[in-house]
Amino acid sequence: MPANLNTKPIIMLVDDNIIDLKINSKLIEITGMFSEIIACKSGQEALHYFSSSANQADKLPTLILLDIQMPEMDGFEFLEHYKKFPSAFKEKCAVAMLSSTLDFGDIQRAQANPHVIKLMKKPLQLIDLKKLAGNRS
Amino acid sequence: MTSSPVKVLYIDDEENNLLAFKASFRRQYEIYTAISAAEGLKILQNISVEVIIADQKMPETTGVEFFKSISKNYPDPIRILLTGYTDITALADAINHGDIYRYITKPWNDLELHNSIKNAHDAYKAKIDLRNKVRELEKTNDELNRFIYSISHELRAPLVSVIGIVNLVKMEGLFNSSGEYWELIESCSVKLDYYIQKTLQYYKNNKNLSDKAEINFPKLVEEIIQEYSPNEPDTKFNVSINQTEPFYGDTFRIEVILGNLISNAIKYQKEEAGAKLVDISIHVSMISAEIIIKDNGLGILNEHLDKIFTQFFKAKNNRGSGLGLFIVKEALNKIGGTISVSSAVNQGTTFKINIPNAS
Repeated sequence: MPANLNTKPIIMLVDDNIIDLKINSKLIEITGMFSEIIACKSGQEALHYFSSSANQADKLPTLILLDIQMPEMDGFEFLEHYKKFPSAFKEKCAVAMLSSTLDFGDIQRAQANPHVIKLMKKPLQLIDLKKLAGNRS
Repeated sequence: MTSSPVKVLYIDDEENNLLAFKASFRRQYEIYTAISAAEGLKILQNISVEVIIADQKMPETTGVEFFKSISKNYPDPIRILLTGYTDITALADAINHGDIYRYITKPWNDLELHNSIKNAHDAYKAKIDLRNKVRELEKTNDELNRFIYSISHELRAPLVSVIGIVNLVKMEGLFNSSGEYWELIESCSVKLDYYIQKTLQYYKNNKNLSDKAEINFPKLVEEIIQEYSPNEPDTKFNVSINQTEPFYGDTFRIEVILGNLISNAIKYQKEEAGAKLVDISIHVSMISAEIIIKDNGLGILNEHLDKIFTQFFKAKNNRGSGLGLFIVKEALNKIGGTISVSSAVNQGTTFKINIPNAS
């Protein structure tokens, strides 16, 4: 567990939809729950962020909100990469999926994935986010 | 239109007959001959023959026996049986088991046999055409389903963004900044989203695949209530579920059925806030799940009761899509369930559902 309780955690958003990225960033910003919001337009961008800041623990998010349907690398493919990360990292940095999908298959897959702590439906609801962050702290 | 000649296979143990047949018909047809059933099978394995003519009386395997033996692996070619004498048992057997198209007596009359081959070929073509048409229709239907499914998802993503923007506007305290415009945008978006969700449910239900999973009714009902109740905080739920037996069924369809009925029970309430009640009682046995969903809401006019399960029927204007109960009925049809309804205006509505246990 991070030692410094005074700094607020960091959150990462992974979503190819720039409008949703903007809406959700703004919404999270208003809550003031997080010190920093890392907005990534693709899974690759997120992975790149991790590889470039792997040695700086203070730059890593504690929560990733991951979209499911994205071109090239979708949410599940991103999770395949995430799976291979060291367990200390996964412990600190949890993944919740955030999607507008109503596809039963996607929903079941997300719920069955051991690395996904929660599947949230778009639009992002403040209550859901607070609950999630509350459970994590 | 040019077409390749009809491929005819003729099987007869008398070589002379094979030669005579070839001599008479080789100009019209592409002819393959075989001296025995075994030889005939070899040809079938390599050539897609359209019409087969077989002599009945052959050593080892008779014509009818041959037709019977190939009916599974080669069902398409049209069969004509040729026989020297009118053997009534062979004839009965041929009709009953050999799937014979024509029965022709020997010696054959060239014109009669020619006409028979021509008709047989027409029958063959009709059979293949029909199969191709069915396949084509299935493909079109499948594509249409997939199209609706993906377009609904594509439509929903930006719509959900709009709802997200409205939420932001609320959070920033701007919701009432432009009269009622934001409120109107919100209610239109929510309504559109509802239509899209129902469309998806309908098309998903249309697909025939059905999965069999264990259903935990207490958990499922709790999830559904959580999903639909946030906007109606003053509705009271009485849930009584008696599930000691494991229940197996189609998760998606059961969720759709309960979701639509429970959300209706919440939605169709009287305007003036009284004690809004929704009773949900479920009794699970080894045979089925008996579900009763009862509300004390608006109720349904007697003359509307038999129409509520029809597509796009709306009892109340401006509310709902006229799809909810239709989808419920369709979903129940797919999993062999039943539904009945009783209602009194301004007193409430009771739906009784029976879903067979697939364990």
